[in-house]
Amino acid sequence: MQHDDDRLRALMLAGLAGDGAAHAALLRALLVPLRRFFRRRLGGREDDVEDCVQETLIAVHQRRDTYDPSRPLGAWVHAIARYKLIDRYRRQGRTTGLEDVPELADEFDFAEASDARADLDRLLETIPDKQAAILRATRIDGLSTAEAAEKLGIGESDVKVSAHRALKALAARVRGDRP
Amino acid sequence: MNSDDLIASLSADLRPVPRHALGQKIALGLLGGALLTLLAVTQWLGLRPDLMIAMHGATFWIKWAYTISLALCATLAAARLARPDGRVGTALALMALPVAGLALIALVELAATPSSQWLAMWLGQSWLVCSRNVFVLALPILAGMTLAFRRLAPTRLALAGASAGMAAGAWGATLYCLHCPETSALFVLTWYSLGMIAAGLVGRLLGPVLLRW
Repeated sequence: MQHDDDRLRALMLAGLAGDGAAHAALLRALLVPLRRFFRRRLGGREDDVEDCVQETLIAVHQRRDTYDPSRPLGAWVHAIARYKLIDRYRRQGRTTGLEDVPELADEFDFAEASDARADLDRLLETIPDKQAAILRATRIDGLSTAEAAEKLGIGESDVKVSAHRALKALAARVRGDRP
Repeated sequence: MNSDDLIASLSADLRPVPRHALGQKIALGLLGGALLTLLAVTQWLGLRPDLMIAMHGATFWIKWAYTISLALCATLAAARLARPDGRVGTALALMALPVAGLALIALVELAATPSSQWLAMWLGQSWLVCSRNVFVLALPILAGMTLAFRRLAPTRLALAGASAGMAAGAWGATLYCLHCPETSALFVLTWYSLGMIAAGLVGRLLGPVLLRW
């Protein structure tokens, strides 16, 4: 499984080499974690959130020569987002020390997020394919029972029963019980 | 503007970034400032007349070893702090080594000199102007580094400013050696260092104002 940080890093490196499409793909991929990061800390004020996101994107673009390719991309983007957040606090007259904003927010810990996903993938391989597919559809992709049933071409009650059995089996695996 | 349009406009006509762009920017600022400082040393203060002879003696090189090693440490620290996720690491702490080394040489010097001459050795001929000269000579270099840093992305502005100030002070002192004929280690340890610290303090104070982005 490819790590997200590696994937984004590859886009970044291509962008640094002058590939505009890769650069755009990177900036688009950063929208989700950046919005989540600012939304969590600015609470609800959507205009402010989007302002900060755009300021951060511009900084990522303009100051991209400060990225050290030997370091994780997530840490670099986060440092910029964090700086922009603190700068916004300062302009609003809030005195927030750097220490009040965590050193590395989990939004940008791309490597760890994909590690967790890798763990999940390994776990899902231990249960029957059908059950795994149902869990992915309902618990990870967030589909409703009806949507999952339609997507997988099985009955709704089958989805419910299989999801229930799958969770039970996974819980047993995690606890370390033998099946 | 919505974010998708912004991304499209940022990605259009994308210019490739040279591999060592960050180092180049800092070097450019440093060299630009150093040229001005060199001009000030030659035109305003004047090279020491015995420069060629002095360069054959150990004292000159002890002074240079002191100022250049400090300059390298501070420049390295500043360059690291030019990245948003930069850590100073040990670069600033390493500056204690040249200071300790020169202090040791000063002690040996003191031991070899009758105590009646200690004061004269400490004050030399130019203690009244030395720190000021080092400080003034640091300013063009600090200005050049500030210009470079404004296009980079420091996030710890006070520390980045202080490091740049120390670097400017130490490079300024290095060029000041071309003028200053003082020979005692105790003199350099005191008055040169004071000038460098002053430059570091100015950088510390100006950093949060000038380096914001």
